[in-house]
Amino acid sequence: MPDNRTLADGVPDVDERDRRNFLKVLGVAGSVGAASELSLSDLRGAVGEESAGQLATYGERIRADLAGGLDGGRLAGALSGIEAGVARLPELRAAGFPDEPGTAYQEVAAPAWDAYDHLAEVGLFAAAERHLPEFSPDHVRATVAELVRAEPLTAALADAGLDERERTAVVVDAVNQNDRLAEWVTTASLPADPEGYDPDDVAPLHQRALGGGLLWIDELDQHLWQREVVLTDDLLETGLWDAKRILAGTHLFVSAARDLAGPGELTDEQLAAGLAGGSAVAIRGQEAIAADLFRVTDAERAPRGGDAA
Amino acid sequence: MSTDEAHARVRETDEGLRIEYLADGPTTVRQSAQEIPRLNVTDEMLRDSGENPQSWLMYGGDYAQQRFTTADAIRPRNVDRLSLEYTIEVGETGRGKLEGTPVVVPSDPPVMYQTNGPDELRAVNARSGEVIWTYRYAPAEQGPDEAAALLCCGSNNRGVAVLGDTLYMTTLDANVVAIDRYTGEQRWLYDSAPTRQGYSATWAPVVYDGSILNGSAGGEYGIRGFVESIDAESGEREWRTWTTPQDQWIGDAWRNGAAPNWMTITVDSSRDILYASMGNAGPDVNGIVRPGPNVYTAAVLALDTSSGDVEWYFQESPHGWWDWDASAPPVLFDAEVDGETQRVVSHAGKTGWNYLLGAEDGKLHERSDEFSQHLNMWSLPQDTLEDTPWIMPSADGGSEWNPTSYSRETGNVHVKAMNYPSKFQWDEVDEWQYPSTYLGGSFTVYPAMDDPGPAPDEWNGQKAIFSALDPVSGEVVWQDEWEEFAMGGSMSTATGLTFTGNGDGEFIAYDSATGDRLWQYQFDAAVNSSPMSWYDPGVRKQYVAVQAGGGGLRSASDGNTVGVFSLER
Repeated sequence: MPDNRTLADGVPDVDERDRRNFLKVLGVAGSVGAASELSLSDLRGAVGEESAGQLATYGERIRADLAGGLDGGRLAGALSGIEAGVARLPELRAAGFPDEPGTAYQEVAAPAWDAYDHLAEVGLFAAAERHLPEFSPDHVRATVAELVRAEPLTAALADAGLDERERTAVVVDAVNQNDRLAEWVTTASLPADPEGYDPDDVAPLHQRALGGGLLWIDELDQHLWQREVVLTDDLLETGLWDAKRILAGTHLFVSAARDLAGPGELTDEQLAAGLAGGSAVAIRGQEAIAADLFRVTDAERAPRGGDAA
Repeated sequence: MSTDEAHARVRETDEGLRIEYLADGPTTVRQSAQEIPRLNVTDEMLRDSGENPQSWLMYGGDYAQQRFTTADAIRPRNVDRLSLEYTIEVGETGRGKLEGTPVVVPSDPPVMYQTNGPDELRAVNARSGEVIWTYRYAPAEQGPDEAAALLCCGSNNRGVAVLGDTLYMTTLDANVVAIDRYTGEQRWLYDSAPTRQGYSATWAPVVYDGSILNGSAGGEYGIRGFVESIDAESGEREWRTWTTPQDQWIGDAWRNGAAPNWMTITVDSSRDILYASMGNAGPDVNGIVRPGPNVYTAAVLALDTSSGDVEWYFQESPHGWWDWDASAPPVLFDAEVDGETQRVVSHAGKTGWNYLLGAEDGKLHERSDEFSQHLNMWSLPQDTLEDTPWIMPSADGGSEWNPTSYSRETGNVHVKAMNYPSKFQWDEVDEWQYPSTYLGGSFTVYPAMDDPGPAPDEWNGQKAIFSALDPVSGEVVWQDEWEEFAMGGSMSTATGLTFTGNGDGEFIAYDSATGDRLWQYQFDAAVNSSPMSWYDPGVRKQYVAVQAGGGGLRSASDGNTVGVFSLER
């Protein structure tokens, strides 16, 4: 495989049904042409602002909850590291299945873990869970509308290495799979049983969104070496797209947190949408990488007995 | 206490089976004046157990858990003459709780140590079938636990370990007891884990190099799993390895992350490495509180026997939602892989595939063809059962805990699999119950439902499949399908036979190479256990023993018989 291969083949095309549903949810079906090409930038002017007020309230509360606790420099360094990690994915894709378990994927995830550790330490995940709602269809729609509207948020996804097609794919997926996102409840929704169950053992929703995804990336070093016999290039291609989604979602979340630390260029609604949207993209990425690369059916697996079979 | 007075009662509750001990402490009843012959069971004898036709000194026959006997009196050409030598009838308390495998010490006469639930152990003259003594566990008044043991899937005991003059047995309330093998008297008790937190125990422990290797159960009750080593002399813990490593779980979900090791551990005695079969993640059916792969759940886990340090792990169902434990005991043997002879670990999963792993590094050499049907494999649970498609394997598996046997003659492994569909749903979290159950949802099992509706067209209707697999190529060599539930394992012989039983009470000897039925015996209860064998030179007979009384999660019919067959050389 040539070294300049990108991950483009792992990115699913947005089919017509998904496209229609996405536009319907966003409330812009009538104002966008029926061309098969769909891009977020084409939608920017068409998306309404009716839900921005609620998002702004969430963002304002989160901002108030965390004044002064964040280390902007550390988060900026983490963002650069995440970008560098995403940029390494094509090289790792080209390398294929390692001959021995290494640390390349753990290295890719390391800067994101650094940001995660810091955000957990200062309580940003807890604050986000306190002030943001769960992923109801309305919340997902409002978040995605703001992602489409807010150029700084789209730019954060671009900085994370997602091109226009990829940015569109992750946002459409979040909207069309909002029922999956809705299953990710907050710790406040968990049962509290005085006899022993402690919901505090469960991390806040947005911490689970980022951390769970990063654990899957860490696991790739072992997984790709250990299970090469059942894995295929196609599975790897799709799985690394999912890894990219996890990193991009993390990048979006950390970008919003970085702005919260200063310079404060994001509006309150953009801050809320960045945190919620980043979490949503990371959740969908981690669910997808499990399904695409770790849970392999007989129909998908490499032929038994090797290539000659 | 008389021999027929119940020492424990098992009650069915909404949360599972609750064990109520009626006696004030352990009791031993002497039933025969016969003395058990003195014979010190040494480390060397244990290491040689799989080679010595007169021995079956641990649950799996040997440290490698091959369930293979070198006794060669019973052969394909004469197995039709195999006949019932005697039976042992366990008491009514033990009815329907016979998932275990006896151990036989090669004295003169040989002595069998047989267990069944709830926490009963017998010493038997293995030549005559005469019961010498019966030990029944119950906690002393000042016992360590504050709550009744709670079990999801049967109140069984699968067997003992032996070293020197001592037997080691787990108890349903998650202890390990040491018992004088000559007198049946309890020597000490090791309190492994509190029942109040959901822990229990049903497996046969294994003794290696002076240490008891022990695990944990309670994966449906929010436990944190572990593997541990206990000094066989003193009963003191030597090391414990928690199986939900904090740094690889998000938040504190590791505290209730399960990953129990609830079947007997396999040991590579040439390398001092153990292989543990790891159960499901907790909560079983809702992964959103435990994101990530959830290591070391549903995995084969290799540890250093002297330190408990993790060597490697191989997950069969990472971040599972279907209760697909990797529960069957791993099997260790040498095989030619990629042109060279290698030590390998073979493991049959609840996923319905057999995995062949490098023993040194855990690398997957081959995943077999399916040994039970797959339908909508890996489909996630939905909000309601109606929204979820029928999924195969069911929550039962696949292989479940059913121990695999390995034939050194054919190179095949033999897997008893459950074969029927389930539906899964994840519950609204305000419906979760804890600590009674910690599922985060629910599932159905088609043949166990009162009104299941139409079965999926794709299901062949056979509830169990017994397969011979070539673990290296992954090919299914032969299969026999059974209409009734079947649990438990099998045993292979140096003469080319493989013995196993099924839910219809058939105890069958197959030709290991072809799968032809060469002999069978009809019990009046399900055979949900694994057979074993020994040769007694004093009478020039090879014996085969199997428990036929049902037991566990899917018991087609219950009884209380241990059958012992023999054939004279």
